Amino acid sequence: MALFAVFQTTFLLALLSLRTYESEVLSEPLPLTPESLKVSVNSTCQCLHLQWTVHSLAYHQELKMVFQIQISRFKTSNVIWVENYSTTVKRNQVLHWSWESELPLECAAHFIRMRSMVDDARIPKPGFWSNWSSWEEADAQNMLGHDPLFVFPKDKLVEEGSNVTICYVSRIHQDNISCYLEGVQIYGEQLDRSVSAFELKNVSFIREKGTNVFCKVDQGGVLGGIVLFVSKVLEEPKDFSCETQDLKTLTCTWDPGSDTGLTKQPSQSYTLFESFSGKKTLCKHRNWCDWQVAQDSQETFNFTLLAENYLRKRSVSILFNLTQRVHPMTPYNLLPKNVGATKATMTWKVHSIGNNSTLLCQLELLAEGKVIQQSNVSIKVNGEYLLSELEPDTEYVARVRCAYTNHFWKWSELISQKFNTAEAAPSEAPDVWRNLKLVSGHPTPLSKVHANGKILFYNVIVENLDKPSRFEVLSIPAPASSTELTLDQCSYQIHVTAHNSVGPSPASVIVVSGDPGNEEVEKGRVNGTEDGFSVSWKPQSGDATGYVVEWCDGPQDLPCVLQWKNLGPNTTSTVIRSGAFRPGVRYNFRIYGISTRRMAHLLEKKAGYLEELAPSDNPQVVMSKLTSRSFTLSWKDYSTESQPGFIQGYHVYLKPKAGEQCHPAFEKTVLPEDSVCCKYTIDNPEQKTFVVENLQPESVYEFIVTPYTSVGEGPLDAFTKVTTLDEYSHTLIHIILPMIFCILIVMIICYLKSQWLKEKCYPDSPNPYKSSVLSLIKSKENPHLTIMYVNDCVPDAIEVINKPEGSKIQFLGTRKSPTETEFTKPAYLYLLPTEKNYSGPGPCICFENFTYNQAASDFASCGHFPVTPQAPRHQLGPLTSPENLLKALEQNYMNSLGEIPAGEANLNYVSQLASPTSGDKDSLPTNPPEPALCSEYKMQTAIPLGLASAPPSENSSLSSTTLLGQGEHCR
Amino acid sequence: MDLRAGDSWGMLACLCTVLWHLPAVPALNRTGDPGPGPSIQKTYDLTRYLEHQLRSLAGTYLNYLGPPFNEPDFNPPRLGAETLPRATVDLEVWRSLNDRLRLTQNYEAYSHLLCYLRGLNRQAATAELRRSLAHFCTSLQGLLGSIAGVMAALGYPLPQPLPGTEPTWTPGPAHSDFLQKMDDFWLLKELQTWLWRSAKDFNRLKKKMQPPAAAVTLHLEAHGF
Repeated sequence: MALFAVFQTTFLLALLSLRTYESEVLSEPLPLTPESLKVSVNSTCQCLHLQWTVHSLAYHQELKMVFQIQISRFKTSNVIWVENYSTTVKRNQVLHWSWESELPLECAAHFIRMRSMVDDARIPKPGFWSNWSSWEEADAQNMLGHDPLFVFPKDKLVEEGSNVTICYVSRIHQDNISCYLEGVQIYGEQLDRSVSAFELKNVSFIREKGTNVFCKVDQGGVLGGIVLFVSKVLEEPKDFSCETQDLKTLTCTWDPGSDTGLTKQPSQSYTLFESFSGKKTLCKHRNWCDWQVAQDSQETFNFTLLAENYLRKRSVSILFNLTQRVHPMTPYNLLPKNVGATKATMTWKVHSIGNNSTLLCQLELLAEGKVIQQSNVSIKVNGEYLLSELEPDTEYVARVRCAYTNHFWKWSELISQKFNTAEAAPSEAPDVWRNLKLVSGHPTPLSKVHANGKILFYNVIVENLDKPSRFEVLSIPAPASSTELTLDQCSYQIHVTAHNSVGPSPASVIVVSGDPGNEEVEKGRVNGTEDGFSVSWKPQSGDATGYVVEWCDGPQDLPCVLQWKNLGPNTTSTVIRSGAFRPGVRYNFRIYGISTRRMAHLLEKKAGYLEELAPSDNPQVVMSKLTSRSFTLSWKDYSTESQPGFIQGYHVYLKPKAGEQCHPAFEKTVLPEDSVCCKYTIDNPEQKTFVVENLQPESVYEFIVTPYTSVGEGPLDAFTKVTTLDEYSHTLIHIILPMIFCILIVMIICYLKSQWLKEKCYPDSPNPYKSSVLSLIKSKENPHLTIMYVNDCVPDAIEVINKPEGSKIQFLGTRKSPTETEFTKPAYLYLLPTEKNYSGPGPCICFENFTYNQAASDFASCGHFPVTPQAPRHQLGPLTSPENLLKALEQNYMNSLGEIPAGEANLNYVSQLASPTSGDKDSLPTNPPEPALCSEYKMQTAIPLGLASAPPSENSSLSSTTLLGQGEHCR
Repeated sequence: MDLRAGDSWGMLACLCTVLWHLPAVPALNRTGDPGPGPSIQKTYDLTRYLEHQLRSLAGTYLNYLGPPFNEPDFNPPRLGAETLPRATVDLEVWRSLNDRLRLTQNYEAYSHLLCYLRGLNRQAATAELRRSLAHFCTSLQGLLGSIAGVMAALGYPLPQPLPGTEPTWTPGPAHSDFLQKMDDFWLLKELQTWLWRSAKDFNRLKKKMQPPAAAVTLHLEAHGF
C-alpha cells in the first residue's frame, strides 16, 4: 500500500512536471488553475462543501470549464473519489460543489484538491488540465469535544430501505469497544486505529423516537450513541379528487398513505396548487383540503397536490370542470303529507346550488326493506311527490337523494322517512275452514285474513239451514283466529267477517253438513321434495267451486295445528309448503271439494314424507311355538303408521350356528360387524308373523326382525337368542311324566300304609306272633314251631351235664334234619315238669341278650338283625326269606364268639344263642347255629376272672359249657 | 430501575387536590391545632403513591425511548444530565441536615424536576404518553404544594428562587438526540430516587413530630392495668 502510494505520488509529480513543461512549451497556457479553494463540512447532511474561483479569466470572459476534483480520506494518497464538474465560469465567480460522504465526516480527515480544463469550443486548443490546487483538509474531528467515545452520524434522518454507515471515534484507543443496534451487537470494519465503521443495510422504521445505536467500552463505563431516524417512504397521494356542493367551495380529498412523521421530522405536509390561478394553499389536514372558488367564474381547474417531507416530494394532478364535480348536499325536511290508506304525498327540500340550478331527485319507496317504487323529480328548492297504490295500514320508508341536473356527478347522501298508511276496511273475506272434531259436528272456523288495518274482532253468524229462522251471532275479539261451535245434526251455514276500525270485510261462507262425512275415500301417497309436497287429485265431476287441501303441521303424536289451502275449481294439483315440515314425519293430507252450496266433501287422502328415513326402532318381537326344529316370531303390535318412512316390509335376520348353511328361503348376508347372517325378506308390511323353520335341535340361534323403508332398514343391534329343543325331549316327557306320577302314587300309598308295613316287616318290639318270619319258618321248616314265652320260663331248673371224659359232641353237617340231631343230643335233667303244650324237641327260639357283651353291643345294640360293619347293605333288606334270616343269625353268632377272645376280657359272657351242642369247641367255628330244636335262655353271670383268664384249652371249653349250663333252662 | 405498570388515577387526583389545598385552608391548620402531623402523613402517603405511579410511567416512557434505555440493567454514565438535582447524598451529610434543610432540598428538587418533566411532556410524540406525563406533572405539583404546606406548618419559609436560576428545559442544538434520551432516562431515575428519599424524610419527620400527648394518653392507659 505504501509502495503504491509512493509510486502514485511519483507518477503524479512526474505528470505535473510534464504538464508544466508542456504549458511552458506550448505557450498560451491559460493559467486557469482553481484558486481560493475552501472546504467546509456540513455534519447535518454529511457533506463536503467546496468553493473556489478562477481569477485568471479575462474580464467579461465566460468559459465553459471542467473541474476535476479529487477527494482522499485519512491521507492524500488515499483517493476515494474523483469527479469532473463542468460549468460555465465567469471571472471572479465563486464556484460551489458539494459531495456527500457515506462515511460520517467526523470519523475521518478528508483531503480535497482540484484542477481545471477549458472545455470551450471557442478556445482553439483546449484539452489540457491545469495544475492541481493544493490539498485542502477537511477534518471534522477537530470540532469534537473531549469525550472519550463518539458515534456518528448524529441524528441522521434516512428513508426506510437506505444503507447507512455508522462509525465511532475512540480517544481511549482500546480494542474492547462494542456497538449495538437496538440492543443487538453489530460488527464492522476498523478503518483506523481509533475509528471503526459499521454498515447498516436496508434500515427499517422502528419507532418515531428513532433507532438507537450506541457503542460502549466493555466494563469501562464509557458510552456513546446516536439516534438514527428512519422515516417511512413518502407515498404518492391516492384517489385524489375534488368536488363541490355549492359551486363556491371545492373540497379535495385523497388517501395520504402512511405517516412519515418522526420526532425528528414532522408528518408530511400537503400543498394544493392550482395552475390556472397560480394560487396555492397549505392543507391543514392529512387527507382533505378546502379550496375557495374565486368570484371570477373560473370553471376549469388544474390542481396539483404536493406531498413533501424532509426527504422527498410527491405530487399528483387533476384537471376538471367545476360544474362536472357537483355533489349536492343531502336533502332535508323529508315529510309525509296527506297520508291516506292508499296514497301519501312526500315533501322535501334541497340546498340551492348557484342560481337557477335544478336538481334531479330520486324518491324511493320501500316496504319491508325492498324498493317497491322509484320516481325521479326535477326540483329547484322544494320537492313534492304523490305516492299512490299504497297498501292500507302498511309501514313504508320513503327516501330521497338528489344529483346536479346539468351534469350528473354523484348522488347526494340519502335522507329517509318512515310513515304508515291509514286503515281501510278489509278487502277480502277471511279464509275460513273448519275442523270436524266429532261425528255430531263441532266446526271450528279458522281464519287467515289479509286485513287493511288492525283486525279488532270477527263476526261469526251461524245459520241453521234446516230451520232458516234460527241464527246465532258470535263476536270473537282479535287476535283469536278460531272458535268452537257446538252444532246438532242439522246443516249450518257459517258466515265469518273480519272487522277493523274502518269496517267489515266481505263475508266468508262455509256450510257444515249434518252428515258426518265419514265416507271411505281413496288413499294415496304423496312424494315430498325440497320445495314441499306436490299434491294432486282427480277433478271432481260436477259442481265443484274449489278445493281445499287440509293437513296438520306437526307430527302425528303432537296436537294437530290445522293448516289448509284454498284452491280454485280448475286446480287439480298444488304444492304444499311449510317451514314446519320435517324429514321422517308422516304428513296426512285431505283433499276436499267445495260444492256450490259451500259444502266440503272429502275426496282423497294422501300421506307422504318430506324425506323418508330408515326406521329408528325395531318391533317388539314375541317368540312362540318353540320346537326342536322351528319357532314362530310375531310383532303384531308394531304400527307402520308412525314410522319415519313407508314400511315396505321386514327383514328377519337369523344367525345360524357355526358351519350351518342358510336355509334356501334365506339369503346369506354379512352384517356390518362382519358376521355372517341369514336374511329373510318379508315384502308385505302387514305380515307381522314369521315361522323360522328347518333348525337344528338343541342349537342356539340369534334373530332380529327389522323393518325397512325405501331408505334403509332399522338398527341391527339387539339380536335375541333362542335355543331349540332336544329332538327326543318331548318323547321322554311322555314317558317320564307318567312314571313320576306312578311313583308318586306308590309313595303316597306307601306312606299311608307305612304303619302296616312297619308292623309287618320291622316292628319296634319284635313280636314273634306278629312277625312274618315265624310264619315263614313255620311253613318251610316245621309247621309245629311255636313261640316260647319268656314268662313261661322258670329259672329254677338245674342243668346237669353229664359229660363223658374224652367224648366230644359232634355237631356235624349243616342243615341236618332234626332227626339227625337227636343222635347227639345231650342229656338234660328236667327238674320241672314240662308244660302241657310242650311238644318235645322242636325248633327253639333263642333270645340273645347283648347287654353284657360289650363288643357285640358296639356292633348292634338291640338289633334283631345284627350287622357287622363289613356286612353288605343288602343284608339289611327285609327278611323276606328264611335264608336271609338264617344268615343274619349266623353272622351274629360268629361275631359274638369270634370277636371276644377269652383271654382278653375280664368278664366273659356267653351268648345265649349258643347251641346246646356248642360246648365242643371244635364245632364252634365251623357250625353256624342252626335253628335249634329247643330254645335256650342263658342267664348272664359274671365269670370270675380266674376262670376267664384260663388258657384256651379243653378245660376252658368245659367250664364254659358248664357255666352255660347253669343258666340254661329249657322247656 | 424496577419499572412496572399499575396506578389509580382517580384516587390520586382526589388526593392531590386535597393536599394542594391544604395550605390554603386555615381552618385545617389552626382549628383544634392538630399540628403538622396529618400534613406530614399525607405528604408521606402521596410520596409513596407517586413512587408507585412513576413505576408505570417510567416503564412506558423508557419503552418509548427503545433499547438500551428500557433494559433493566442499563446504567449509563451521567452525560449531560448534570443540571438535574441529585438525590444521592452521603449518609453522614444527610443525617447532619436539619428538618428545614431537608424540606428545602426536597422542595427545590421537585421544583426542578417538575420543570424538566414538563419539557419531557412537550416533546412526547404520542398522545397517550402526553396524557400520562401531564397527569404525573399534576401529581408532582400536588406533592410540591404538600411540602410547602408542611414547611408552612412548621414555620419554615419557602425557598425563594434566585433571579436567573430558574430551571429551564432547553435542549441545545449540540445536544444530540441520544444524549437527550440519556437525560430523559436520568430524569426518571432521579425522580425515583428523590421520591424514595422523600419518603424516608417524611417518615422520619412524621415520627419526630408525633405529639407528646399521645404518649401521656398511653401512659394513663397503662395505669389501668
